[in-house]
Amino acid sequence: MTATTLAPRPVQTEQPDEVPTRRRRLPVPGVLIALVLAVVLPLLGGSTGALSDKNALLLSIACTYAMAGISLNVLMGYAGQISLGQFAFVGAGAFTVGIVTSVDQLRLPWIVGVVLAAAAGALLAFLVGLPALRLRGLYLAVVTVSVAYAAWQSLFRIEVIGGGSAGKVIPKPYIGNSAITSDSGILVLAFLALILVWQVDVNLTRSRLGRAFQAVKADEAVAASFGIDVARYKLLAFSISGAMAGIGGAIYATALGTVTGGAFDYARSLLLVVIVIIGGLGSRWGVVTASFFAVLLPDILIALFGTGFRGIDLILNAGLLMYTIARHPGGFAGAIEESREKRARRKGGEPPLPPTRPSLPALTRPRGMPPVPQLRSGVPVLQASGVSVRFGGLQAVDNAGLRVDRGTIVGLMGPNGAGKTTLFNAITGALSPDSGRIELLGVDVSALPTHRRTALGMSRTFQLIGLAKGQSVYENLLIAQHLAAPYGVASALTGLGPSRSYERDVRRRADEVLAGLGFGRYRDTMVGRLSHGQQRIVEIGCALVTSPELVMLDEPSAGMSPAAAEDLAATLRDMRDVLGRTVLLIEHNVPLVLDVSDELYVMDAGRVIANGEPVEVVTRPEVVTAYLGAAPSHEGASA
Amino acid sequence: MGQVLVLGLISGGIYALFALGVVMVYRGTGVLTFAQGEIGTAALFLAAFLVTDKGLPWFVGAAAALAFAVVIGCLFEFVVVRRMVGSDPVSVAVATVGLGLFLLAIEFRIFGDSPKALEGPFSGGVTIAGVFVTPTQIAALVVALALGFGLQAVLRRTDFGLGILAAAQDPAATRLVGVPLSKITLTVWGAGAALSAVAALLVEPTVGVFQPGYASELFVVGLAAAVIGGLTSLPGAVYGGILVGVAESAATRYLGDYNISGLRYLVVLVILLIALLGRQFWPQISALLRAADAGSKPTTTTPAGASA
Repeated sequence: MTATTLAPRPVQTEQPDEVPTRRRRLPVPGVLIALVLAVVLPLLGGSTGALSDKNALLLSIACTYAMAGISLNVLMGYAGQISLGQFAFVGAGAFTVGIVTSVDQLRLPWIVGVVLAAAAGALLAFLVGLPALRLRGLYLAVVTVSVAYAAWQSLFRIEVIGGGSAGKVIPKPYIGNSAITSDSGILVLAFLALILVWQVDVNLTRSRLGRAFQAVKADEAVAASFGIDVARYKLLAFSISGAMAGIGGAIYATALGTVTGGAFDYARSLLLVVIVIIGGLGSRWGVVTASFFAVLLPDILIALFGTGFRGIDLILNAGLLMYTIARHPGGFAGAIEESREKRARRKGGEPPLPPTRPSLPALTRPRGMPPVPQLRSGVPVLQASGVSVRFGGLQAVDNAGLRVDRGTIVGLMGPNGAGKTTLFNAITGALSPDSGRIELLGVDVSALPTHRRTALGMSRTFQLIGLAKGQSVYENLLIAQHLAAPYGVASALTGLGPSRSYERDVRRRADEVLAGLGFGRYRDTMVGRLSHGQQRIVEIGCALVTSPELVMLDEPSAGMSPAAAEDLAATLRDMRDVLGRTVLLIEHNVPLVLDVSDELYVMDAGRVIANGEPVEVVTRPEVVTAYLGAAPSHEGASA
Repeated sequence: MGQVLVLGLISGGIYALFALGVVMVYRGTGVLTFAQGEIGTAALFLAAFLVTDKGLPWFVGAAAALAFAVVIGCLFEFVVVRRMVGSDPVSVAVATVGLGLFLLAIEFRIFGDSPKALEGPFSGGVTIAGVFVTPTQIAALVVALALGFGLQAVLRRTDFGLGILAAAQDPAATRLVGVPLSKITLTVWGAGAALSAVAALLVEPTVGVFQPGYASELFVVGLAAAVIGGLTSLPGAVYGGILVGVAESAATRYLGDYNISGLRYLVVLVILLIALLGRQFWPQISALLRAADAGSKPTTTTPAGASA
């Protein structure tokens, strides 16, 4: 159910620094830093400058590790996919730039080589990502280890790729007509590349892409229920990560001038894991800081304590990894975040509790989503028929069916294990039934995956809260609007084009829902810190935010106080009467179901045993028997 | 053919020993360990110090190395794993990555990367199917088989063994029924480390020299073999190791002319992917096979049978 999460206490990846109505900031600091570096660094370098060639080279290497660190962070920190072979992608980039700039028939410009290096890294990572569609966690880790070894010991030792034992010589880069020969010149290129990768990463985290990754990391079933195509986003995470690592590899090769296959060994991939964990999973600046720390540490130690400290750096780093993951799973960035929060709590105290009876904001269907299909009269919103699901020897759902008409609340009751949630999952596509037909809004969706059904106009909640609990309330409301901002990958990564206006829309809508729910002060609170009842309200807000026609709620009152459950009844009626939604409701709370439902279905042992007018249905003998057992007959009761 | 088999069994026995350590830890704790290879190398360094430098008999050095590995495994459990109760197994796996790097860094720091020599305990050997086989190589295979099936019996038949099996599945429930959980995890990490040391000690005499990272490169194959064998079955680990060993020697025999470097890791990657994805897609595959089987029978004439 849950995807790989490394940190039990996930860290917020981004400071909620933006007021959503404000236009997105341009990457001014990045551009400024780049310009200053471009002017200052060459002046420092050379024989007279303060920046020696050796230090310039070292800083260039640090930049490449930072890029590789950011790339691994995309996989492990955002998307929750473990990779112990990230240096294979770095190597793919390094040798690609080597081949295309040096082979006689090609001799492409250096900058083209960097682009192709990104492509090569992305391709290799995409291939590694394919098994990740089916494998989770530890199995995936073993595959990446094998890939790392195969690339290091085999692929990069092929004469044409790795240049054999002599290694691959990378010609000095040309920008226009001038060759960049000095180490400080290459350092400028390295910084520029790092700033580029950094900015792409910033754009990524602010886009639907980054949010989709986080949802996949939190829970794949929940992600799919928000309309996220889990397989596609896993492969995207690998590809983007591979491209970033490939750029890092191109700079690495350029800075060194000559690279051999042996330079991309398994231990370096592990060092990247050290960097990402120490820096803090999910934290961009934490990872970049840790990269510079790891690369510069050997020389710093030797400069401070003498050559006797050669080799101590890796011992320190490895020790730090064990300490960090055991004691501060959020890493360096997480530790700082924690202490800041502690201070803020001491100063401000807890914000007041939000109301348990939210007023639901009336929203129209977002412009990014196709309109809900018009229904011909007599066609129900949902029609499930002949659904059967078997788990091994257990017939969980047995030829069950139900019908939900527009603008009604339909209740689904039944004792534990009756198959209610299984039927729910068959309707949403979370599992594929052995037989049966599901029609949503007049469309046969039996063969469609969950995210396509969601796109048609369906949303759901989960028995155990379907939210990304490590993200803020606001972030969750953005994740839930995945389909409402259908801009492409290029727009997401550059921060240009349609993503800007779509992002404004979804952010405005999230704020409207927050205000409606009365959760304004909890906007940036991590969902996992809210009470169960509050989480449930946020979840309902997420289910309504894209104005779906059909809202499916799985035991919304579970864990609520009686008073809160009464408020919930009012909320459900508002959904139907004020918002005009159609609701399918699994509920154990009998008074609540009888109170709100227009029609009631009762399941037992996988079959629908009764349906009709709620108050009448619950008095039927078969329903009473299902709940209370057969009434003992007076004669043979003791048998 | 016989030659391929003998060579495959020789290396397969070693992979199986590493795989057994992986499965042992996984069954007992639910954690996949990446550190075992380097624990083995560290043990070798101690053995080489005692045997080569101090002139002690091989068996004394080997016993000390074994004890040293157990100490490393237990220390890791005591200092790191114990503080991570309740965290995700993947987090603990990443911690073992840290342990492996830590040991590697210490080895480099103390010994550098020049090869270290350690003579094996036996000389001589026999020729089987044209392959010269040394006594330690035979010992490796015998020990792997004995441990694979012996440990399985211990796990299944003794209370302590059953406790180990239960501990990984539900630590809280296991503790509630009175199983000493901390003793179990300590034992499991110690036993896993010991198995790595055994593997390293038995493979090392084949070449006679080693350097930092030596056993890790073989351990990676053992790790894959454990996964191929199902990750939860000790005999499965042995079969997985032997399968990879034989496949590797077959590949070397028939593809040797192409001079592919790192062939071992290519073979491992291919088998690993086939095993993992094959298991995932097995329902579909078997359905297809059944359909093809039904379709090939002369009695079924309708083509619709193929799509069933």
